[in-house]
Amino acid sequence: MAMLADVKKRTVRINGCVASAQAAKYADVDVIAAYPIRPYTATMMALAQMVANGELDAEYIVADSEHSQLSIAHGAASSGARVFTGSSGVGVQFAYELYSPISGSRMPVQMMIADRTLDPPGDFGSEHTDALSTRDMGWIMGWSCDAQEAFDNHLIAYRIGEDPRVLLPQMVCQDGFFVSHITGDVELPDTGQVKEFLPPYKHPYPLDPRHPVSHGPQIMPEQGPPLQLERARAMEESMAVIEEVHDEFAKIFGRRYDPWVEEFMTDDADVVFFMQGAHAVTARFAIQHMRDRGLKVGLVRLRTIRPYPTDRVKDVLSKFKAVGVIETNMGIGGVSSGGVLYAEVVAALYESQKRPLVLSFMAGMGGEAIVLKEFYWMTEKMLDAQKRGKIEKRTHWVGFEE
Amino acid sequence: MSYTELTVWTRGIIMDKEGRDIVNSISASARIEGKYAQAMENYVDNPDRTNCPTRKYCRVSDEIIENELTYENEQPNIIVLVEGTMVKGWDYMRGMPPGGTLVINTHYTPEYMIRFVPGPERLAQLVCVDAAKLADHKWLYYRLGELGLDRLSTEGAAERNKSIAPDIAAPLIAAVVKTTGIVKMATIEPMIANKKAFEMALNELHIMSLNPVAV
Repeated sequence: MAMLADVKKRTVRINGCVASAQAAKYADVDVIAAYPIRPYTATMMALAQMVANGELDAEYIVADSEHSQLSIAHGAASSGARVFTGSSGVGVQFAYELYSPISGSRMPVQMMIADRTLDPPGDFGSEHTDALSTRDMGWIMGWSCDAQEAFDNHLIAYRIGEDPRVLLPQMVCQDGFFVSHITGDVELPDTGQVKEFLPPYKHPYPLDPRHPVSHGPQIMPEQGPPLQLERARAMEESMAVIEEVHDEFAKIFGRRYDPWVEEFMTDDADVVFFMQGAHAVTARFAIQHMRDRGLKVGLVRLRTIRPYPTDRVKDVLSKFKAVGVIETNMGIGGVSSGGVLYAEVVAALYESQKRPLVLSFMAGMGGEAIVLKEFYWMTEKMLDAQKRGKIEKRTHWVGFEE
Repeated sequence: MSYTELTVWTRGIIMDKEGRDIVNSISASARIEGKYAQAMENYVDNPDRTNCPTRKYCRVSDEIIENELTYENEQPNIIVLVEGTMVKGWDYMRGMPPGGTLVINTHYTPEYMIRFVPGPERLAQLVCVDAAKLADHKWLYYRLGELGLDRLSTEGAAERNKSIAPDIAAPLIAAVVKTTGIVKMATIEPMIANKKAFEMALNELHIMSLNPVAV
């Protein structure tokens, strides 16, 4: 392993979309399947430039829709290629048919998602509903909160997904605008580091006329259960691999991420926010200001939602008196009549001996920025619940209440 | 703490690069000077249509920028109109705190232009610069077709010209930097492609000083 001090580092100022394209370049992808939709478009444009300039040797295929795009990704992965694709909002939905076949045939396709609110009406702003609606399709899934983390997550996800013990596709998600179009300092690694971390991809059973195999044939109903069980086990067993890969990443690149949750100022916190994605950046500022006023508030940011770290979430959140789940997604008519994250949190806490009060906050909907004063407002609601020992109601729509 | 917001109003696609070059070069210079800075384009209203009014934003601060994730500049201290007729069209002065600067690309004088400015009492100065003449008076009229074909709606990704401020952005940057001191002249000057227009503009600014009042 190269000594960190010897590693030539280069820091560039790029946005999340370009960071994703850079990561695909460093991963030396073989096939790029593209179809434009804002905000993901910026990633596909950056990759097109790299291919045109000869910086990246890859097949660049522009599909006629997202459905074809993911079909191309599926086919290319089946032939043994390392595949990169991506989309946003309704584009993610249009390709829905392909998500189960890709994970079911255990193809480690990687998809970048820059979140965009689903229609109606047309809205570029980030809401996590596009990706989260596919959360149970057998894809490894997690959110980054800035461009550097987006870059790193792409490399980490390839390594996890392509591990022969896992072989699952990955959705590497980032908020539209808040990550995709906000520039940040990104440390680009040495290619040697990436080679060491991410070995060339080799699928155990690619489609190859010299070694005929069959992928995705019609099966009888009784053959279904073992296939589903295998896929479910692969997801479950990926948890150990995910931890291993994050350790390895820290060793080689010098940046250590907790694979499951980031805790910020939680040591003596009474109440915490639980959330995914870029609004954590503003949440950290808000928490620092509230700490200056003596309020014991902290942040737990979920980094990987599939596989869901049930026990870790239970252990971490059981320490607090109240948890405010910031949804940034739609779960209309669901458990909390708000977002889907609430159900994941509450279910994880069910087996805990010490359950905190849980509130669901519908904030950042339609891609609206969550501003400092809204974090203050939500904290007041949590502190109020803590004081009274019960919640006023499960779901608060931030900005619509006193 | 010093915190400055700069909003550039420009025309979609045909003058997109000009607006982008202004905010990118100023934020990059501020970063070189050790300040916190951010530049971005207006995200929410699909700004990639030919000739439609579009905005570019820049924020420069001595301290870390906590409102980094907000879409728009809510209190712009400096406003640039890349194309002169925009002076009549929109309330680009909205949110400007007293003491602001308005820079317009026009061959008219500030005395003539101020009548069209909504809420001019907030201005400390109105700066007019004939950027089209200084850069190349033919720049737009003769190259319109070429610009339209080159730029498309790719948010800058497909432009052939990679140099910073080869055209009318150069005099406009000179006007902003000289009249506001948002960054140092020596930091930004090396980045500018059209040095001739940049230097000429420094001596050809028409500045009207005003006494701003709170509104």
